Amino acid sequence: MNLLEYEAKGILREFNIPTPNGIIYRSGDAFPKAPIVLKSQVHTGGRGKAGGVVVVRDQQEVEHVSRDILRLEIKGEKPQTLLAEEVLDIAHEYYLSVLIDRSSAQIELVAHREGGIEVESHDASEFLRKPLTSANANELGETLAEYYDLPSQTFALQELVANLYTCFTKSDAILLEINPLVVTRDERLVAGDCKMTLDTDASYRHPEWQFEQSAADANFVTLNQHGTVATIANGAGLAMATVDAVTEAGLTPANFLDIGGGASVEGIVASFQKIMEFPKVNAIIINIFGGIVRCDDVATAILAAKQQFHHLPQLYVRLSGNRSSEATELLAKEQLALYPDLPACLAELVHG
Amino acid sequence: MDKSIFTGKNVIIQGITGKNGQFHTRNMLAYGTHIVAGTSPGKGGTAVEDIPVYNTIADIQKDHSIDASVIFVPAPHARGAIFEAIEAKIPLIVCITEHIPVHDMIAVRARLKGSKSSLIGPNCPGVLTPGNQLLGIIPAALSTPGDIAVVSRSGTLTYEAMDLLTKAGYGQKYIIGIGGDMVRGSGFIDCLALFESDPEVKRIVMIGEIGGTDEIAAADYICRSITKPVYAYIAGHSAPVGVQMGHAGAILGTNNLESAASKTAYLKKAGITTADSITELVKRVQ
Repeated sequence: MNLLEYEAKGILREFNIPTPNGIIYRSGDAFPKAPIVLKSQVHTGGRGKAGGVVVVRDQQEVEHVSRDILRLEIKGEKPQTLLAEEVLDIAHEYYLSVLIDRSSAQIELVAHREGGIEVESHDASEFLRKPLTSANANELGETLAEYYDLPSQTFALQELVANLYTCFTKSDAILLEINPLVVTRDERLVAGDCKMTLDTDASYRHPEWQFEQSAADANFVTLNQHGTVATIANGAGLAMATVDAVTEAGLTPANFLDIGGGASVEGIVASFQKIMEFPKVNAIIINIFGGIVRCDDVATAILAAKQQFHHLPQLYVRLSGNRSSEATELLAKEQLALYPDLPACLAELVHG
Repeated sequence: MDKSIFTGKNVIIQGITGKNGQFHTRNMLAYGTHIVAGTSPGKGGTAVEDIPVYNTIADIQKDHSIDASVIFVPAPHARGAIFEAIEAKIPLIVCITEHIPVHDMIAVRARLKGSKSSLIGPNCPGVLTPGNQLLGIIPAALSTPGDIAVVSRSGTLTYEAMDLLTKAGYGQKYIIGIGGDMVRGSGFIDCLALFESDPEVKRIVMIGEIGGTDEIAAADYICRSITKPVYAYIAGHSAPVGVQMGHAGAILGTNNLESAASKTAYLKKAGITTADSITELVKRVQ
């Protein structure tokens, strides 16, 4: 779950990590006082380059600039909220993040001397990467002061690293990125911007998590608005493999859909609804390998969808595994044939 | 992982009284897996399918030696369940549970270091040694014994590969689903080493995904240490950059190394036979 900047900074403050002074602005609120930097609160990156961050020095401009930013769509997302922050007197911008290294299963601190929006252009080998534990914050703070060439900030960096570790672990974060980490001319160390991703699997132990969520659904992804073949599968791997097979057969997949392990009949019918919104789809491949998913539930959903949508595209259905013989029986009653596997579906779709 | 841990006899089920635990205990028993006991705190003294239920693993160990454990305990208690199995020095732990918080898995990995246990999973379909035993939820009826070893990050894609291989007349010695989570127990390299050490394995099928760089490390390892032919497929060729597709493991970042195309190219350069779809992969094995 990706947080908005103001949500992430709220968490940073709880762990005593310094952020610029700021307030939330939403349509209808009293206008914040200039000089100020107005920042669009969207989940996507590239916000600065798209014009979503504007420094306003003149109070008379606050009204129309905030209106413009609230109207500005960035990569398909319109903000509900603006963050209005003090204008920092920046001496230098650094990069600092905490993440999880998958292969070593360790928490890592990643840093670069040059932060800001161009940080992605740096070669991966240029970054300082060190394992971060509950015991080495002091040592790492010192390393960081040396690396950034900020000897006067050694204590502040030690404290920052210790707080980042606590924040990262206590918040069940997967990514915590401070970019830029700003040093101001009066030598304050401040988190200029913050991206934070939290682990949704840990939400059961965080009743305090109440965030503005983006509409993005990881389980249904539009691949091509003009695609001709829609896909429904279970499991991310099988769903990706289904899309790959459609592409390989020379056809254009419209979507990726993983109905997951706990798919309900209603949930699957709702997926058909989404697929009906693609104008050029003329075939739907349903590729289910039931481990936890019950094939007869999927069959019931298919029959319900056939009832509900009169212009349902041609279906190519493959149901294997858990309760597939019950599913076959259900579909046979409605003269709906099943294919033994994905290659058979595709062969029929391409040559049939 | 030593191949002897996959031939151990006595299996226990942690979380045997839950819905999933009961259902899959029945399937495993039907396949011939030798389940001696199960755990469910507070339900000691009861039974599931005539299998005695104990409160703790320590209680079971008073009556039985344990070679492997299959865990179905719900996510909030899964870390504790894995810790318990590690403390009990069970050689093979297979954790089926999905949605375990990643920070819990970091703690588990730290605990595994220097322990006597190997962990497969979590969020995985488990391990099947066709004709021998099923440890997990793999639809074993679709497999047949043979000399191919399959390792995969994705559950359902593992079944797909197994089904297509069986239909093409190629039996399997191992089917291992290592799970799709960011942080997990055994990885590709552990499984590849196992396959190399087992003379009954003649060919290896490896199924990866977008996201992470495990397949890249596996390719380097194959170059150095694997003499048997490897056939690989990376799912997600049609995935757009910067989009998360399904579960936690498969996030394609802006890092080009993690895309299906670049992983496939890397594997190819390492001399591995690759395919752009699962169907093509099975054709390549033929």
